[in-house]
Amino acid sequence: MSLSAATSSPRTRRWQPYLAPLGLFIGLAALPFVVALLSGQSPAGVLANEAGSAKFIQGLLIEIMILAIVALSYDLVLGITGLLSFGHALFFAAGAYLTGVLLKSFGWSLGATLGLVLVSAVLQALLFGVVLPRVKGITFALVTLGLSEVFYIVVQSRELGQYTGADVGLQGVPPPDFLNPTSHRLTFYLVTLIFTFAVYLFYRLFVDSPTGRVCVAIRENENRALMLGYNTFYFKLVVLVIAAITANLAGTLHALYQPVISPNIASLNAMVDILLMTLIGGLGTLTGAPIGAAIFRLLTFFLDRWFGESASFMLGVVYVALVLFVPYGIVGTWQRRGFHLAAGRRWLLGLLTGRGDG
Amino acid sequence: MTNLLEIHNIHTFIGQFHILEAVSLAVPQGSITALLGRNGAGKTTTLKSILGLTPPSEGQIYFEDQPIHGYRSFEIAALGIGFVPEHRAIFRDLSVAENLRIAERRKGDLRRKEEFIFSLFPDLKRLIHLPGTNLSGGQQQMLAIARALVPDNKLLLIDEPSEGLAPVIIEHMMAAIRQLSQEKTVLLVEQNFIVASQLAERYVIIEEGRSVKQGLMADLVDDPATIRRYLGAA
Repeated sequence: MSLSAATSSPRTRRWQPYLAPLGLFIGLAALPFVVALLSGQSPAGVLANEAGSAKFIQGLLIEIMILAIVALSYDLVLGITGLLSFGHALFFAAGAYLTGVLLKSFGWSLGATLGLVLVSAVLQALLFGVVLPRVKGITFALVTLGLSEVFYIVVQSRELGQYTGADVGLQGVPPPDFLNPTSHRLTFYLVTLIFTFAVYLFYRLFVDSPTGRVCVAIRENENRALMLGYNTFYFKLVVLVIAAITANLAGTLHALYQPVISPNIASLNAMVDILLMTLIGGLGTLTGAPIGAAIFRLLTFFLDRWFGESASFMLGVVYVALVLFVPYGIVGTWQRRGFHLAAGRRWLLGLLTGRGDG
Repeated sequence: MTNLLEIHNIHTFIGQFHILEAVSLAVPQGSITALLGRNGAGKTTTLKSILGLTPPSEGQIYFEDQPIHGYRSFEIAALGIGFVPEHRAIFRDLSVAENLRIAERRKGDLRRKEEFIFSLFPDLKRLIHLPGTNLSGGQQQMLAIARALVPDNKLLLIDEPSEGLAPVIIEHMMAAIRQLSQEKTVLLVEQNFIVASQLAERYVIIEEGRSVKQGLMADLVDDPATIRRYLGAA
C-alpha cells in the first residue's frame, strides 16, 4: 500500500452507506402498490387515488417522512455538530406558517412561496447566528428556545389572527391542484419520498465531506478544532443554514398536507418531540433520525390509544428509559454492537448540556 | 539565535482568578524549550494564553516579531503554531486518517508530510482506518503529535507528552520529538524532569504564575538546589 493510498478513504466503505437507503427508497416507492395488492385492491386504483389501505398507508408515511426530515435537520445541528439548540421547532413552524399564509391570504404560486420560504429560512439561521458567538452550551439552547417561543406567541396573537388563525390554527390552505394530497395522494407521496431521500443523501455527503468532518470535530471539542486553525463560527453557521432550509421545507410539506396548521408545532412540546425522535434513532447517526421519526409517530399513535390523557406521561417515561438504558439510540447502539451504558450516558450528558466530551 | 516566540509580562485571568501574574519567556528558533514548574504553576495556562484560548489581559506576545496578543485562536494557529494538548487530545470519533486530514491547512499538506510522519510513527500507518477511540494511550499521543505536523507549523506547543505513558512508549515519544525538532521549534510543558532535561536545550521555570528563572538546560541540570526549590526533585 502506498503512503497516499494509506490516507485516502477505502473505496468499498465510501458507497456502503448509500446502498441500504437506495433499496429502501425503491421499496417505499413500490409499497402503496404492494399494499393495494395485499388488500385485494387493484394497483391501478392507487394511480386513480381510490380510498383504501394503500391511500391510508401513503398518508401515514407522508407524516412520518415529514417528521423524519425535521429530525434529520436537528441531528445535523445537535448530533453531528454538537450545537445545542432548543429553537428548532421555529424552523419547521415558520416554514409551515409562511407557506400557509402566502398560499391562502396572498394567493401566491407555490414556486414564489418556496422562494420566500428559502429566503426566510436563511434569515432565521442568521438570527440564530447572531446569538452564536455570544453564548454557548445551555445558554444558546435557552436563547434559541426564547426565539422560538416568541414565534409561538406571535402566531397565536389576535392581531395576526386573520392570517394565522390565532390559537385555532391556520385552516384551508389551498395546495396547488397537482400536489393536492386529497386528490393526488400518490404524487404528494412520491414528492415527499424523493425530497426525504434527497435530504438524507445530501446530509450523508455533507457529513462525509471535509466540512462535515470539521463539524464532527467541533462536536467533540471545539477548542481543538480552533487550534487547527478553523473558524468554527462559520461551520456552525453553515450547519444552521442547511438545517433551517431543510426544516422550513418540511414545514411547507406539512402546510400542504395537513388540513390545519396548529400553533403547537412551534411550542416547546414540538421541540421535545423533535429531540425525542433523534434520541430514539441515535444522535449523530443520520440514519437514526428517520427510524426515530417512524417509531415516534407509531408510539404516539398507540400511547394515545392505550393511555389517553396519560400518553404524554408515558412519553416522558420513554425519554427517561432511553437516556438511562439506550443512550446511543437504536442505530448508535447497533453500530457499537453494545449498549456501553456508562460511556453513553456521559456522551449524551455532554451533548445535552452543550459541553462536548472533553 | 533569533527568538521565534517572545512573551513579555503577560497576565491572565480565568474567571476571577489571577492565574498568570507576570510571565515572560523567549523561545529561540530551532530549539526545544521546556516550560517547567509544579502542578498548578500556570504552565498549561501559559500555552493557552499564547494560543488565545485564555487571552491575556495584559502583556505582549510576539511570534516572528509580529504581535499576536488579541488575535483569535484560529488566526494564531493559522500563523504556524501547532498545539498538542495534554490528555492525548485527538478526535476520537474520527479515524486516524481523518484526524490527520482534518489538520491540513492547504490541500496536499498531508501527502507532502506523510512520509515524515510515518517514519516518526510507523504504527499510525498500520492503524490508519481505525477510529481514534480504538487506539491505545501511546498511539493516541503519537496521533496528537502527528496531527500537529501535518500543516506547515513553525512552532509546536506540546503539553505533557509523557503523561500516563509506559516507559518504553515515553522513549519512543522522546525520540520522535528529538527528530521533529530538527525541523520545528518546540515549547514543551513536561512534569517529568528527566524527560524534559534530556530533550530541551533551554528551560523556563514558572512558579505561582510568574516566570522565575530561565536559561540553558545544561546549567539547570548542574544546579540541584534550583531543581529542588522550584521543581521538588533533584
